[in-house]
Amino acid sequence: MDLLEYQVKEWFNKMGIPVLPSQRIDHPTDLKRLKIRYPIVLKSQVHADERAKAGGVRIVETTIDAIAAAQNIFNLPIWGELPEVLLAETKYDAKDEFYLAVVLDTALCRPVLLGCKEPDIDWESPGEKMQYVVVEQEFSPFYARRLGLKMGLQGALIQSISDIVEKMYQLFVQKDLDLVEINPLAVSVSGQVMALNGKVRVNERAINRHPEIAQMAAKMLGRHRSSKINSTLGDWDGLEMHGKIGILGNGTGSVLTTLDAVVNAGGKPGVSLNLRHSFLTDTGPTTFCDRLETGLKILAADKSIQVILINFLGSIPQVSEVPEVIANFIQLDPKELKSHLSNGSKNQPKHLPRLVLRLAGSDFQDARKYLATLKPEGETLIIVENLDEAVTQAVRLSKLPAYKR
Amino acid sequence: MNLTPDSKVLIQGFCEFISATHIAQMKAYGTNLVAGVDPGCGGQQIYDLPVFDLVEEAISKFGQIDTTIICVHPYKVLDAALEAIASHIRQIIIISAGVPPLDMVELLRKTETHEILLVGPNSPGIIVPGKILLGTQPSEFYTPGSVGIVSRSSTLTYEVAWELTRAGLGQSISVSIGSDAIVGSSFSQWLQILDEDETTEAIVLVGQPGGESEEAAARYIAEAIDKPVIAYIAGRHAPTTKSWHQSGNLATVVRRDHNFGTTQNKSAAFQAAQVPVAEYPAQIPQLLKKVMGNR
Repeated sequence: MDLLEYQVKEWFNKMGIPVLPSQRIDHPTDLKRLKIRYPIVLKSQVHADERAKAGGVRIVETTIDAIAAAQNIFNLPIWGELPEVLLAETKYDAKDEFYLAVVLDTALCRPVLLGCKEPDIDWESPGEKMQYVVVEQEFSPFYARRLGLKMGLQGALIQSISDIVEKMYQLFVQKDLDLVEINPLAVSVSGQVMALNGKVRVNERAINRHPEIAQMAAKMLGRHRSSKINSTLGDWDGLEMHGKIGILGNGTGSVLTTLDAVVNAGGKPGVSLNLRHSFLTDTGPTTFCDRLETGLKILAADKSIQVILINFLGSIPQVSEVPEVIANFIQLDPKELKSHLSNGSKNQPKHLPRLVLRLAGSDFQDARKYLATLKPEGETLIIVENLDEAVTQAVRLSKLPAYKR
Repeated sequence: MNLTPDSKVLIQGFCEFISATHIAQMKAYGTNLVAGVDPGCGGQQIYDLPVFDLVEEAISKFGQIDTTIICVHPYKVLDAALEAIASHIRQIIIISAGVPPLDMVELLRKTETHEILLVGPNSPGIIVPGKILLGTQPSEFYTPGSVGIVSRSSTLTYEVAWELTRAGLGQSISVSIGSDAIVGSSFSQWLQILDEDETTEAIVLVGQPGGESEEAAARYIAEAIDKPVIAYIAGRHAPTTKSWHQSGNLATVVRRDHNFGTTQNKSAAFQAAQVPVAEYPAQIPQLLKKVMGNR
């Protein structure tokens, strides 16, 4: 989950990372009560990186200009996202601009400090300009000084940059971040440093152990109940595709193998969800069956999905409750799906997708027996043991006309 | 490594990922489960196991423990593992899924310097078919034999085992190292174990997109593994939605590998190491029969 710039700067400020005087603007008229001095920079608070290019950043000299610019920015969607708030910030004159980051490298299984003496990194070929230091053992400030030296810094600047990196690292560990970035870090003529913009990415697996972050996540979800959730919150253990066959599984590998099998059999996979972890949309604790129920509803609410292919093998938590969840689902009135519709679309599904269940393993004996007693009409529920057979059935059903109740 | 039926096994915590059925299955398989540890539940019996508040209490009662199976809430995994290490337990299997990655970084800093075998998190553990089950792997898919399986996906491990069993190929050891972003042991570590294991004649490696553990494994196979290896990577047709900027692998980008983490990259690495790559699970037995016949 990415934070917005103003939230990042609140955190920076608390950590002692220098940021400019700034003010949150909820409405253009807030600019009449501005406590910081002109000229100011008005910045749209959206997640997109290309905000400046899109016109979401304006430098203004007077209140009148500021209000006009603010009205403009409030109505300017960037990558489909309208800002809820703007940030008004003092303008700053920098002599140099650097790039600094602390990031978790999952390949090395260690945090890495990154630094570059240029702020506009061409990520396609960062080449030799980007320096990095792997934090092998417990962090100590020497790791940050090592980065400073590698960046080619000299004199007092080594210390002031490594102080900033140290604070970034503390923030990184305290809040369970995947990334904390300052881009650019401005250096003034007098050698004073200032974080002009920053980025913070919170690890989704750790959100719920930080009450204040969980609260921010809940708010963000409340605002963005749209398909954009995926991009603003990062990976939520799902894949967004647009085919007719939705997939539910209990594990990433299993979901991916099912998806491959559907393609191999000539079918088109749709949204595919891994039920092993809680979804990011779950702000409280969930059980496997909660996730199964939610997963079924998410998929059913997607108009393009005509078949839901469930692949469970081995053992799953609370297996005894699974048949009930399935039985409730096939008896569901499609109108009840309204609240689960991700985009508030007016085109409600008029029918539920058909279900193909692949259940393999002795854990499912009772579930299979129970589900076999439900005999819904129109091939709405098929239970098989073999994956290839389940896939064949799902692909066949996806090519039939939709089942009408 | 001690994977014999006489090794003493502890369970720390009872979360959603472990049930009475798993514990009964382990016992039926001959695993020497001695006790559970669940703070606040000391003195109780859970799933027919005596429960203690602390690992050291279990040790004072039963003597040194060889393996612990950690199944506490993901936020408590680090603490449970550190407790086990403090009690000199050398084999740690973490079943819990979704451990915050920075907790794993801290744990790895410890285990890497202490010669501790760490499996998981988000792993169903290890099975030696017909001998011992350490974790939640469903034993019904397995049959004793000579194919070793190392995987980083749980359910896919069983899928592959089942295909092998149905094709008449038994298994020697099967381990899922876990499917969280940061896990305790690597493919290479397990390839080495399987290479040294006398009953193992051939190895199946099961991977998925993300990270570079498969690529590292491919290099390791080319350098150090004599037994035939077959690879299978799920997700050939999955969209590569996660760009580098989202994957938290800036440092890897610095090293300039554009195809980082993709199924294609992994398949290419195995092909370069002359490891046959199966396109779907049912193809694995066919490929295995070929390489095992050639020996």
